[in-house]
Amino acid sequence: MLWIAIRMLTGDAQKFYGLLFGIAFSTLLITQQLTIFVNLIERGASGVYNAPEAEIWVMDPVSRTTDVNYAMPSTALDEVRSVPGVEWAVPHLRAAASVRTSAGDLEGVAIIGVDDATLIGLPERLLEGDKSILSRPDSVIIDDGGVVNLFENGEEPIGQRLELNDQRAVIRGIADSIPSFTSQVTLYTKYSQALNFVPGTRNRLTFVLAGVSEGLSAEDVAARIEQQTGLKAETRQEFADAGVSFIVENTGIPTNFGITVVLGFVVGVAIVGLTFSLFIRDNIKQFGALKAIGVTNAKIVSMVGAQAALVGTVGYALGVIGTVVFIYAFSGNPFFKGFYIPWQIPLISLVSVIIILAMTGFIALRSVLNTEPAAVFR
Amino acid sequence: MSILPKNVSFSRQILPVLAVIGLVVAALYIFSSLPDRSTSEPEQQPPRATGDMANSARVAGAGLVEPSSEIIDIGSALSGLVTDLRVQPGDRVEKGQPLFLVDDRAARARLAEANAAISEARAAIVEAQAAQRTANQQLALYDNLDDPAAVSRAEVIRAEGDAAAAQSRLELSRARLAAAQAQAGSAQTELNRLTVRAPITGEILAVNIRPGEFVATQGGNSQPFIQMGETIPLHVRVDIDENEAVRVKLGADAIISPRGAAEIRANAKFVRAEPLVVPKRQLTNSAAERVDVRVLQIIYALPQGDAFRVGQQVDAFIPADGSPAEEG
Repeated sequence: MLWIAIRMLTGDAQKFYGLLFGIAFSTLLITQQLTIFVNLIERGASGVYNAPEAEIWVMDPVSRTTDVNYAMPSTALDEVRSVPGVEWAVPHLRAAASVRTSAGDLEGVAIIGVDDATLIGLPERLLEGDKSILSRPDSVIIDDGGVVNLFENGEEPIGQRLELNDQRAVIRGIADSIPSFTSQVTLYTKYSQALNFVPGTRNRLTFVLAGVSEGLSAEDVAARIEQQTGLKAETRQEFADAGVSFIVENTGIPTNFGITVVLGFVVGVAIVGLTFSLFIRDNIKQFGALKAIGVTNAKIVSMVGAQAALVGTVGYALGVIGTVVFIYAFSGNPFFKGFYIPWQIPLISLVSVIIILAMTGFIALRSVLNTEPAAVFR
Repeated sequence: MSILPKNVSFSRQILPVLAVIGLVVAALYIFSSLPDRSTSEPEQQPPRATGDMANSARVAGAGLVEPSSEIIDIGSALSGLVTDLRVQPGDRVEKGQPLFLVDDRAARARLAEANAAISEARAAIVEAQAAQRTANQQLALYDNLDDPAAVSRAEVIRAEGDAAAAQSRLELSRARLAAAQAQAGSAQTELNRLTVRAPITGEILAVNIRPGEFVATQGGNSQPFIQMGETIPLHVRVDIDENEAVRVKLGADAIISPRGAAEIRANAKFVRAEPLVVPKRQLTNSAAERVDVRVLQIIYALPQGDAFRVGQQVDAFIPADGSPAEEG
C-alpha cells in the first residue's frame, strides 16, 4: 500500500522534484544561514579559544570581552597568584596598535602579549615557525588571517619588518588561529615586548590567565578570585559566552540572520505547501477509489505520511549535503577559517522540515479525508 | 505490497539511497570537523605554589635577587684617570683590597715637593743651629771678658742680637720642617685616597671602568664605577602589593622560583621586612613602567646554589596569615 503511495508520488516527476526542491532549498537556507550565523558570532569568542591553556580569565570588573577591556595595575598578577586553588597565573596583554607596513600602508592590529617564560596564551599550533622564536629580539608571530590582510600582494610574511610605536618588529612565525570577529591582524609577542609596542599608558596588564589546581572546579576558583581580589574572574566558557553575547547585543547580525532563517522556513512552507496541495488535489480521484475499495482513513494518513517522509528525507539530505559541500568548499577561504557545522543545527533544520511537512500534509489531507468515495466518479 | 519492481527507478530507489548515503557522509563530516574547545596543559611550567601552600592561603609577589649586603656602588674620592684596574667581575675580594688606582702623578709630585721642602727645612735647621752656635760662642766670649772696656757696648749688643736672630731662625726652620712634613702627610693621604679599596669582603658584580677612563666625583656619569656585594648568601627582595601586605605571614619561609625555570623551587628563609612601604619600582616588565601601587618589600635569604644570580627576577609564594582550614 505504501509502495503505491510512493509510486503515486514519483509518478509525477515535475511535482516530485518540485517538492524535493522546496524541502532541499529551505533546509539549505536554514542550515547554511544558521551555520554561518553561529560561526560568525562565535568569532566573538575566538580570543578565548586561541588561548588553549587558560581555564580562568581575570580582568578588571569593567572589562567585557577579550577586545573590550580595561587594564589593571601589574600587581594584579600577584594578587591572583595569592588565591588558593589557582595553580598558576600569567600576565596577558591585549591592546590595539597601528602598524606601518613596508608598503607604507596603515593597518590597525591587535597586539597580544603572552607570558615571557611560559608562552601561555599563544595559539596551540603554528603554521610556520616555532614558538621558541619569540625569544629572539623584536619577534612577533602573525595570525594566518592577518597574513592575507597585511600582505595582499602575496609577499612572504616571514622576515618582514613592521614598525610598531617606533619599534622594529620582525615577523618570524605564523599562528594557526581562529580569526577575530573583525578579522583584525593579530600579532603575538612576549609580554615585555608588547609593552614596547603599545603606546604607554600607566596600567597595561589587561588580563591574567589562570590555571586551576587539580580537584577544584574552575567556577569555584573563579568565585574565590573575585571574592579575594575584587577583580572579575570568568571561566573559559563564561568568557567565551560573554564575547558571543557582546556581538549579539551590539550588532544587527542576529536580526539579519533570523530574518533569513524565517524566510527559508516561509519559502519552504510556501513551495512545499502549494505543491503538496496540488499533488493531493490531482490525486484526489485515486484516493477516492482507494476509499471506495475500503481503505480506511488511517491507512490514507499513513500513505500521505510515507510520501511526506520520502520527500522529507531526500530533500533534507540534499539540503544538508549542500551545506556541507558549501562549508567544505569555502574552508580554504580565510573568511570561513574555522567554520564548522554545529551538530545541533542539522537537527534544528530537521525539526523545521518536519514542521513544514506536517503543516502542509495536514492541510492537504483535510480534503482527502473528507472525500466521498463517489469522488472517483466526478 | 512491497514488491520490488522489475525495473530500477531513479527517483524511487537510487535517489533515496544516494540521499541516505549523503546524509551519513554529511553527519560524519559534521562530527569530525567539530572544533576542539578543550583546554590544554601549558607546555612550559608556569610558577606555582606547591606543597602545603598549593591549596592554602598564600601571597604571591615578584622579586629581585640581590647580595645580602645589597649592591654597593663603589665610588671614587677623587677625580682622575684610571691607571690600574685590579679586579674583574666575578672576583672575590677581601676587605681593604685595592680595586682600582686613579692617576697619582700630581699627588706624587706634591709628595716629592714636600719631601724636598723637608730636606730643605732640615738643612736650614742645621744651618740655623750652626749660626746659633757661632753667635752663642761669640756672645759667651764677650760675656767671659772681665774688662768691660775691652769691647765696646755696641759690639756686645750686636752679638746678643746675633744670638737671638740665630735662635729665631732655628725656630723658623723647625716650623718650616713641621709644615713640610704636614704637606708630605697630606700628599701621602691624597695618594692613599687615589687607591680605591673594597669596603667589605664580597664579590665584584660589575666593572664599568677601564684603565684610561676618567672617573668624575661630580655627578653626570650615573653609572657606578664598580658594583660589588656579599653574595654568600644571596638575598631576594620580594615586592608585595600593599593590598596583600596585611595578609603576609612574616617570618615564614617563602618558595622562590627564577623566571622561566619554575621547576626550581628554593625554600628561602625570612630575613626582614623593610619598614618603609615604597612605590613599586622593581618590575615585572618594562623599565619605563610607572605604577601608582605601593609595595611592601620583604627580604629572604636564598639557600646556596647556582640557580640564582644577582639581579634576576623571581616569583615568590609566601604563606599568608590564617589557617588553611578557614581560608578553604
